[in-house]
Amino acid sequence: MLRQPQSWAPGLFFPLLLAAVYSSQFSKAVDIAGFPFQNVSFLDFVLPACVIQGVLFGSTNSASDLAADIENSFMDRLLVSPVSRASILLARLASAFMYGVVQAGILITIFLIFGANIAGGLPSMISIVLIAALLAVSIGSFGIAIALRTGSQEVVQSTFPLIFVAIFVSSAFFPVQLMEGWYGSIAQKNPLTWIIDPTRRMAIVGFSWKDLGQSLGIISAIASLGIGISIRQLRRRLARAQ
Amino acid sequence: MSYTNAADASSIAVVYAGILRGFSRMRRLPSLMIPSILMPVFFVIAFSGSFASIVELDGYETDKAVNWMTAWAVMQGAAFSGMGAGGLAATDLENGFFDRLRVAPIRPMAIIGGLVGYCVCRALIPITAVLIVAFGLLHAEMPGGILGFVMVYLSGIGMAAIMGLFVLGIVFTFRTLKSLAIGQIFMFSAMFLSVGQAPIQAIDGWLHNVAAVNPVTNVIRMCRQGFLGEVTWSVTQPGLIALAGMMIGTSIWARIRYKKVDI
Repeated sequence: MLRQPQSWAPGLFFPLLLAAVYSSQFSKAVDIAGFPFQNVSFLDFVLPACVIQGVLFGSTNSASDLAADIENSFMDRLLVSPVSRASILLARLASAFMYGVVQAGILITIFLIFGANIAGGLPSMISIVLIAALLAVSIGSFGIAIALRTGSQEVVQSTFPLIFVAIFVSSAFFPVQLMEGWYGSIAQKNPLTWIIDPTRRMAIVGFSWKDLGQSLGIISAIASLGIGISIRQLRRRLARAQ
Repeated sequence: MSYTNAADASSIAVVYAGILRGFSRMRRLPSLMIPSILMPVFFVIAFSGSFASIVELDGYETDKAVNWMTAWAVMQGAAFSGMGAGGLAATDLENGFFDRLRVAPIRPMAIIGGLVGYCVCRALIPITAVLIVAFGLLHAEMPGGILGFVMVYLSGIGMAAIMGLFVLGIVFTFRTLKSLAIGQIFMFSAMFLSVGQAPIQAIDGWLHNVAAVNPVTNVIRMCRQGFLGEVTWSVTQPGLIALAGMMIGTSIWARIRYKKVDI
């Protein structure tokens, strides 16, 4: 992170730009009939989504670094050294987690400085950071699987638009109740909506174990799948290396 | 033919060759075009779907979000295409081909013209793709008729040229492909700090003041007018002035930075 600020700076810049713009452009949207929260600013509404967006934008960094290690043969050197194979994967996942914690912490601090309010206080803040960091791990694990499979940084980075699409076709920037037609239906079925909605309730309404459980449960399911695929790809690569 | 006329004729040939070269590269690497077509198409779908109810607020002058958001997606597509000029120049700078272009007996503005001409022609593809999706899939309306479409294409190619010239200036300064990221930040900022997604009446606070003076606001209004009603001179004129002003400014910027390539 210290050597390559260009890898994480966009993950801070774009969510902050969107939050600044949307909170001014759509400030009156909270008055639309059917808006799910009353007496709330649009900045409060988009806070959890922007934190999750920022962390997701950076979630491919660990995978991209792994792909770079494969491209420049560092991975081969790692494999002939007496290190545990599991630690190769765990180190990348831990890196994604730490990256998520730092970035979510920075984003929440900046939001609070600019007047956002987190109704649940410290428990909600910690929950949002935890949710964002674990989501970075779960989405990052799919990137790691792709990196292990292809060994190409370019391919890993090309998954970025998919993350972008997944965020926009969810309740991240507008409530699904106010979306129309097939777009609203897809957004309702998007797992990111099921994560963002309870996280948002914890920020706007207050901390709740039920909401935290719902978010973490869905993230765990996604992470199990992603890590499972990563382990399979790691075994495949190890078998090829022998 | 006098010397000046001969030079002019050869400059036009160089610009034409530059445009053809850009399209040859695009044919060879179709993956380059995918983001600049798919992203604006996704934008028109996503913004029209996500913010379907936003048109209930004052100032939108339409009851369908797609009528508002199509112009925004067109501008994004045009700006993405403008980045193509920077991408091509940066690749040439990194692999040394640009040095050969610079020592050839051709005018610098012809080289710049070729790069900008390429991105202007390229912008027609995402603009048309956005319009096809907006009208074919999302049932957009164009009460402004043919003139409305003319405004869309005019604003789009103008924005592509401006963004192309601006990004060229950045690429000539840093001489790397990575410097395109700086161009992207400026591009997104200029586009988002305008009336792209919301009318000026709906925007509060600092952004209201910024959007009011941002020249991109006038270009987007010019582009959007046909979707909201009749095309009028009172909306077109500020858009044309903004396009001309930004074109002059970015041309000077690109030309000045071109001189610095060797330094």
